[in-house]
Amino acid sequence: MDLSLNEQQELLKRTVADFMVHECPKTVLLELDRHETGAPPELWNRIAALGWVGMLIPQQYGGGGNSLTDTAVVYEELGKGPLPGPYFSSGVLGALTVLEAGSEEQKRQILPNVARGSQILSVAAQEPARKWGPGMVQLTATPQNGTLTLNGTKLFIHDAVAATHLVVAVRTQASQNPAQGISLVVVDKSLPGVSARTLPGFLGWVCEVKFENVRVPASAVLGQAGNGWPAFARAMEKAIPILCSYQVGGCEAVFDMSVEYSRTRIQFAQPIGRFQRVQDHIIHLTNHMDAARWTTYEALWKLDSDRPAASSVHLAKAVSSEGYYQACNYAHEVHAGIGISREYGLTLHTKMSRTLYQCLGDPLYHKRRMADALDL
Amino acid sequence: MNFEVEYTPEQEAFRKEVQSFLKVNVPAGLVTTAAVEAITHEQYLMQRELGRKLGGKGWLFPTYPKEYGGGGLNLDQTIILEEEMDQYGLSLPPYYNSGGNLGAPSILVWGTDGQKRQFLPPIFKGEVRVWQLLTEPGAGSDLASVKTTALRDGDDYVLSGQKIFVGSNHEVDWLWTLAVTDPNAPRHENLSWFMLDASLPGITIQPLDLLTAGGEGGAGSGVKNSVFFDDVRAPASALVGGENNGWKVATTHLELEHGGGGHIGRNRLWERLLHYCMTHELDGRPMTKDQDIRDLLMDIYIDIEIGRLFGVRNYFLTHAKKARSYEGPQSSMWRKSGNLRIAGFIQKILGYLALTTDPAHVVEEGHIELHQRSAIVGLHPGGTVEVQKLIMARRIGIGRTVREEAGRLA
Repeated sequence: MDLSLNEQQELLKRTVADFMVHECPKTVLLELDRHETGAPPELWNRIAALGWVGMLIPQQYGGGGNSLTDTAVVYEELGKGPLPGPYFSSGVLGALTVLEAGSEEQKRQILPNVARGSQILSVAAQEPARKWGPGMVQLTATPQNGTLTLNGTKLFIHDAVAATHLVVAVRTQASQNPAQGISLVVVDKSLPGVSARTLPGFLGWVCEVKFENVRVPASAVLGQAGNGWPAFARAMEKAIPILCSYQVGGCEAVFDMSVEYSRTRIQFAQPIGRFQRVQDHIIHLTNHMDAARWTTYEALWKLDSDRPAASSVHLAKAVSSEGYYQACNYAHEVHAGIGISREYGLTLHTKMSRTLYQCLGDPLYHKRRMADALDL
Repeated sequence: MNFEVEYTPEQEAFRKEVQSFLKVNVPAGLVTTAAVEAITHEQYLMQRELGRKLGGKGWLFPTYPKEYGGGGLNLDQTIILEEEMDQYGLSLPPYYNSGGNLGAPSILVWGTDGQKRQFLPPIFKGEVRVWQLLTEPGAGSDLASVKTTALRDGDDYVLSGQKIFVGSNHEVDWLWTLAVTDPNAPRHENLSWFMLDASLPGITIQPLDLLTAGGEGGAGSGVKNSVFFDDVRAPASALVGGENNGWKVATTHLELEHGGGGHIGRNRLWERLLHYCMTHELDGRPMTKDQDIRDLLMDIYIDIEIGRLFGVRNYFLTHAKKARSYEGPQSSMWRKSGNLRIAGFIQKILGYLALTTDPAHVVEEGHIELHQRSAIVGLHPGGTVEVQKLIMARRIGIGRTVREEAGRLA
């Protein structure tokens, strides 16, 4: 038993933390918040050059070949910003989906560019009026003379505007089992008929994508047609704990903000942290943070050591999504007025916590899949 | 990171040794029953006999120094011992021993060489069972306001006062007690600890009528008692950690009592609840196939899993001797408030069945009904949830720039 990070991971953690302090201070994060993709090219390229986008991609495809835990160390620090941008969408979920679903040739074609940052992926699975799960994939791809024609709308797609390529889940065969008959198609976003726009509101970099007679060669299907969902599910199982670690980092940031504010904000002639009602908020925040942290670490460890991890991954996502959401609520209780000022920085997290609560399935979805995974 | 203890061939050999030892030495009549107050005297004597046998091998207090009768074993060996004891539904020690579990580490940190030699070997070898006496009718959460006095008189201290919510059923050998040694000194500078022989004249033990037995961690503590001291004369050598230094000594054992030591092991309540729901039907199908029940079971499971992970983390921090801060009281708070939340979820699942002990309808031999009561009883031992939150706040440094440190452990 050893629940500490190893030396390389500690070093990596310090390196990323330093980078965030120097390159992404609050002034920068507030600018990124107004940026169309959250990742201006110069910042994206710098981070890709540091190797943090391609960490999970095996070395033979131009990546770092790191473990999930190594990668989580980086995302926890990025989550403290929170640093927006398609790092997770492309470098984690996109890359893992190509790794799980793609042929050898497709992996060789796509992954080195993803690691380098010259291709940016976004997986487009969800559709309007559909609950999360394989049943949501209804968009059709009509085969004709060695091509597929896509028509329809994908909704709530993270970082689709930032992406250069979309991995689109389409239904290529009807089936009793909704997880069967789904194919994953790589679509160059510059193709005619593809349009993506960012949805406005209290959410970040979540998009609507429309396909109007978009024609791609049949070779754009990753791996075997009809077998897309199981591959995507395997990719999600590994990707989700990385997303959770980003949420853990977010919890840590709002925890630090709240403790600091409890010491420096004076009311009734004393720091507000002397009031037990204020302390209660921070204690509940702490419990949510640590619950998110340890469920996530255990899921990462199980995956990295090839143990069955399904129920732990669902647990981590349910707990971390709820945890980040609630941690932000408690932080707002502590901060009151100043917390809702955009330039203070707390609302960056609050918006992110709401956005990620839904990402790849909400807590109720994961609780129910956890019950399935536990054979109840 | 590694959440699992990985065993070397030597450790696997140790497990075999423990298994064969327990196979021979755990008597058949030593069963865990829902009604801990119903443990017979005969069963209690079996627990003590097993304790002495474990103590003889240094396995009763495995991580403590050999020179005082501990096992001198490492974390992994201790986990093996606890896992194997758990197979029989037993913990270490296999009986209620609050004063030993919490007093011994305090003595190891604060006792003189002579006191370590006098007090530790009988505890570690299982020769004595010790209860801890803290709470008084007028001093609960405000422990520093205890009124029981121990006044110096020649070579002795003379104790007078009353302690409450103490111990367990059946007999006890020693009492680990906090008392006022200087009634005129300021708060926190007036207290001392004593390791007393329970058979001293003037000590009266009187059982209390409570909702149920309960203890920190639900350690099967049997009934609770009042203990009265009427001019009890104890030798000066019974005072541990220096006269009027008792509040500092208390930080060590309170750290342990507040969950700082950590815990690993399976959750029997979950196993029992799941077993019942999988083997019983509601409206013609297994209870676990009902969506509402599945959702409630997952609420319980998440609560338990978070508590388990807090316990595992604390266990690691303690045994790997890492820096600790608010983790002990956090774990205690989670377990206490979590048990109450879980009791609520269980009643939503089982309804009246969660509440009855009627032999025709009882669920899981009464363990579920017992949990409904012990979840309430378990809220206070070792400090209320509110006290845990206070300690957490100080150690996190909420509203203060200097963070309070966690208590010293040996």
